[in-house]
Amino acid sequence: MSDYEAFRARARTWLQSVAGEFGREARRGLDVEQDLALGRRYLAARFDAGFAGINWPTGMGGQGLTHIEKVIFDTEEMGFGMPTAYFGISLGMPVPILMRFCEDKAFVKERVLKALRGEEIWCQLFSEPAGGSDLAGLRTRAEVDGNGWKLNGQKVWTSWAQYCDYGVIVARTDPTVPKHKGLTYYWVDMKAPGVEVRPIKLAGGDSHVNEVFFDDVRLEDSQRMSPVGGGFAVAMATLMIERYVATDSGGFGPHLDLFVDLARDVEVNGRPAIEDGRVRSQIARNHAMRAGLESITTRAMLMMQAGMEPGPEGSLNKLVAVRSRQKLSELAIDLQGNAGLAFDPHASQKENWTASWLNAPTGRIAGGADEMLLNTIAERILGLPQDHRPDKGVPFNQIPA
Amino acid sequence: MSILLDEGQQAIATESRRVLEARSDKGRLLGLLEQVGACDAVFRDTAVEQGWTALAIAEEHGGLGLGLIELGLVAQAAGGVIAGAPFLTVGYGAARVLAEAGSAEVQAAWLPRLASGEATATVAFAEGNAPLPPRPTTTFAGGRLTGVKEGVVAGLAADIAVVWATSAGEPALVLVELSAATRNPVDGFDNSRLYADLAFAEAPATLLAQGDAARALALDVLARMAVVTAHEQTGGAEAMLTIARDYAVTRKAFGQPIGAFQSVKHRIAELYGLVEIARANCIHAAALADAPGGAAGFLLAAADARISATEAYDTAARDCVQIHGGIGVTWEQGLHLHMRRARSLAIEQGNLLFWEDLLVDHLTGEVA
Ligand SMILES: Cc1cc2nc3c(=O)[nH]c(=O)nc-3n(C[C@H](O)[C@H](O)[C@H](O)COP(=O)(O)OP(=O)(O)OC[C@H]3O[C@@H](n4cnc5c(N)ncnc54)[C@H](O)[C@@H]3O)c2cc1C
Repeated sequence: MSDYEAFRARARTWLQSVAGEFGREARRGLDVEQDLALGRRYLAARFDAGFAGINWPTGMGGQGLTHIEKVIFDTEEMGFGMPTAYFGISLGMPVPILMRFCEDKAFVKERVLKALRGEEIWCQLFSEPAGGSDLAGLRTRAEVDGNGWKLNGQKVWTSWAQYCDYGVIVARTDPTVPKHKGLTYYWVDMKAPGVEVRPIKLAGGDSHVNEVFFDDVRLEDSQRMSPVGGGFAVAMATLMIERYVATDSGGFGPHLDLFVDLARDVEVNGRPAIEDGRVRSQIARNHAMRAGLESITTRAMLMMQAGMEPGPEGSLNKLVAVRSRQKLSELAIDLQGNAGLAFDPHASQKENWTASWLNAPTGRIAGGADEMLLNTIAERILGLPQDHRPDKGVPFNQIPA
Repeated sequence: MSILLDEGQQAIATESRRVLEARSDKGRLLGLLEQVGACDAVFRDTAVEQGWTALAIAEEHGGLGLGLIELGLVAQAAGGVIAGAPFLTVGYGAARVLAEAGSAEVQAAWLPRLASGEATATVAFAEGNAPLPPRPTTTFAGGRLTGVKEGVVAGLAADIAVVWATSAGEPALVLVELSAATRNPVDGFDNSRLYADLAFAEAPATLLAQGDAARALALDVLARMAVVTAHEQTGGAEAMLTIARDYAVTRKAFGQPIGAFQSVKHRIAELYGLVEIARANCIHAAALADAPGGAAGFLLAAADARISATEAYDTAARDCVQIHGGIGVTWEQGLHLHMRRARSLAIEQGNLLFWEDLLVDHLTGEVA
């Protein structure tokens, strides 16, 4: 592993050298706009230092390294609290999909470079009021309009849309065929006439998600990234692309050490909480769960390194981690008693139990609710029957609303 | 050591599973439940024939010189078929103590015979509900051992035992021949484990280690046995998962397979999560066992493995029975064999409470 360790050391050295300018302390007290601006400067610096697009092709501004270096860098970076959240989706799914499915390579290259430098941000416009878990139930439509398309409808829960320059979008192009078959995939200019973005305030108090309205928005046919009617497959590819989001920053919430520290500091009925069996049991089980997931991830990386396909157990990460984070955060608030009522909306979800708890439900819903993940495990891995789907094979426009 | 299995290890996993599945017989195991003092002779013979008793004993003592990873894989396969004999785990533990702390004579007298399966050994550490009591009441003085060890795994059949005792006010590890002990069978819910209360009255015994060295060795060996047991539990949990899954796709109710009901389907998907996490922790712990300088890390990993495997097997057994409905609670169907084994393994080598405490003590730096 010495090459990887050398890479880790190089990454850490660089991160340390810029932590003062971009890291957790530098961000304290900034509003979202200022933080985003800092984030853009950080991405430019990261690009210049050669740590952008780590596992992307060099021809696209990437470093041409493996998934392992990428995970190593992300893991190291996570500890510094850098302002990267705004770019997570953009660089996570839409831009890689653009590289893979958009035919205009000159256009792609320009976009990719700007995205890597934080100059442009992409969003993912899939979910709709009538199509969340049931993604293929979406109603936004694209109709042929001359040699291009005309887009009308509404998306919802679009992360960072208010700051985005472009998005990838799935729309219905044929309502007379069964729902999965009538969808087409495009990229869309978020500054185009007819696009309107309205932020939604979330339970934790922030507004990073949005409703997005499309009113006769013009799309060129060159913006199409799937065959007409073949959009669902590309949408699935988008969702599968980061199969091992091992470094998923939301997942575990605060480090377990923070909980242990808390349990040592407070008392329960006059005795140190760390001596309370209920507390100890939660710590131990949380540790065993985290250790298991880490071992699964490590094994997956070793397999990829050895040219093998990792097993499907990587799909457990989000499901298992977020639920236990939610429970542990509840207990952490309990342990603080009345002091646990205090809430700082700017506190980090990785360092503050209240912030972790209040935002944990997001993790259990966004990117596939627990129930959908369980369905996927049951159906794809264990071969259990598919759910009953009364809309199967029925033309979309004949499905009762 | 890597957590990716090499070809030889994969072969051990596949081959042990194949052999055990071919030779396992539910009827035979059910029969064992109704008698005291019998174990699954077929498994015992298979273990000897396949060289599993020799697996983790050094070549110089007639063993195969392999380690915890390989032993774990066999234990996993054994757990899958509820193999009715406990020799793998405690035999390994006892041999390990002898190899680490036995004199040349002791090693020469016992290790080759343990490797060949000619003799069997067990470990008697626990007293009351403490798997490794800080001050054991069993005492060793003047070459004689006195006291009672309750519910010793394989205690009915083993030739020798490594006993956790007190000697001159300090904890000690002592070797005793069980022909010198009174054995009282424990009539329990999982009779094929050969549990016995062992009473020693001035039984001739040999001191192996004393004081801090004894404590460190005992804890290490207990953790190693816990990792083997965790493998066995994971194998059992995986079997329950598979059985539940297979039943859910065939049994129909309300015009569809019961596996199409989400309450059933999701329950099975949850078991998958528990099994994979337990498996991952087992492999990690086994790989750490002999890593240089990894002692503290190994104890933590062993606790992780033990905790997740206990949770996995208990839950899988519970849910698998539930998914079967009425047929699941019949004697004949035999799911209770797993239910029983899940509980007996949960107690052998330290219960959840013990391992949870040990883990938290390590996290807080309060290591005893
Ligand atoms: C913070 C946040 C950010 C997001 N960012 C984006 C983004 O950038 N782009 C984007 O496109 N989307 C985004 N989403 C949307 C997200 O993908 C959806 O919210 C999610 O897929 C769930 O859909 P839904 O909200 O419509 O819930 P629903 O689908 O209505 O689900 C409601 C409940 O029903 C359950 N349910 C639904 N179907 C089944 C079933 N078959 N079996 C069992 N239970 C079922 C669900 O599990 C859930 O408990 C984001 C969401 C959040 C909360």
